[in-house]
Amino acid sequence: MTIPSFLADMLLASIPAAGFALLFNVPKKFLLWSALGGAFAHSLRLLLLTYTSLHVELATFAAAAALSFIAVIGAKQLGAHPKVCTVAAIIPMIPGVSAYTAFIAVIRMNQNGVTDELVRTATQNTLRVFFIIAALAMGLALPGLTWFRRRVII
Amino acid sequence: MTGSYANRVNDLCLQIGLLLLQNGAEGALIESTTQRLGRALHAEQVEVTILANALIVTTRTTENTATAVARCRDQGVNFSIVTAAQRVMIDVENGTLRSEDVSARLSNIDARRYPDWLVVLAIGLSCACFARLTNSDLAGCAVTFVASAGAMAIRLKLAARHYHPILVFGITAFFATTLSVPALLYKWSDTPQTAMAASCLLLVPGVPLINGVSDVLKGYINMGIARWTFATLLTLASCAGIVLAMALFRV
Repeated sequence: MTIPSFLADMLLASIPAAGFALLFNVPKKFLLWSALGGAFAHSLRLLLLTYTSLHVELATFAAAAALSFIAVIGAKQLGAHPKVCTVAAIIPMIPGVSAYTAFIAVIRMNQNGVTDELVRTATQNTLRVFFIIAALAMGLALPGLTWFRRRVII
Repeated sequence: MTGSYANRVNDLCLQIGLLLLQNGAEGALIESTTQRLGRALHAEQVEVTILANALIVTTRTTENTATAVARCRDQGVNFSIVTAAQRVMIDVENGTLRSEDVSARLSNIDARRYPDWLVVLAIGLSCACFARLTNSDLAGCAVTFVASAGAMAIRLKLAARHYHPILVFGITAFFATTLSVPALLYKWSDTPQTAMAASCLLLVPGVPLINGVSDVLKGYINMGIARWTFATLLTLASCAGIVLAMALFRV
């Protein structure tokens, strides 16, 4: 992986994070944090996928957990619940195209008959979506389930 | 306001809980914020039950107990309101906000959203970035930008008329696909499928999905299942819209 492609990945992830933060009406002063969070988590996942043998679900989980811990620690200073920034920041990691591919495969099965190829596409993509979303949510929830289970965050 | 002190505190707790529930806060945050507000106002105990469409709060003070139920109408995701409501609770805890001003502060929370043109532009760019991250060529990204920005504009218009979210998602998906179909029909892009997929990504119900899982994990299983069900319905509605458009253009 080259440095320009790494930086491009950060930039490409930060824009949707900020875009969805606008859609979720995140307060103005946290928009930048959402964008930075998105860039951080997505590029951390890319690093893990490139330089370690982690599967995409585990890499996603690690990236989401790292983001969430930083956000929980930062939340006290910013005076807002960490989810306000982190939910928008993990949007770039949601495997939307896989979900779309899986749905289209299922529809094709209904319209043109079931083939091995379609079953493979649908199953693979559905499983990928399911595990990545579970990994994202678990990663985000991790601080609340461990160190902060009995403590208030802000 | 009339009634005992327990009633008054209960009403405030219900008001803040409802604001959080309506605007996309997760179960754990709703419960902890409501309870902390109650305790900051010297209630002995505050118990909250969160349902998908209602909130039940019971407040116990040394003299009285009060319980009330409020119906909740979902208003979509608005994290500005969630943050502001939380701020009110923290101000009460810190003693900088008096109990008689709490209700007014909560009622006057600014519910304004970002201007439509900005959201449309940002979502268009976001979906174009998704296309790029999924290795689309630049022509595909351009098509995605136009299609998803157009679809977002339609979505905001429909949402402003308070149509049912399922209808809004279905119609938006139809237009997102319709607007990105030319990339395939006229071979503008070498990766038209990616462009078509990315154009629909503005419909990913990210907040209900993430909140749903975290509600289930943190013990609010009913709420979590309700959120998941709703997210699934929204996704199916989007699918129906996509199928309709694809059938229409025979792609």
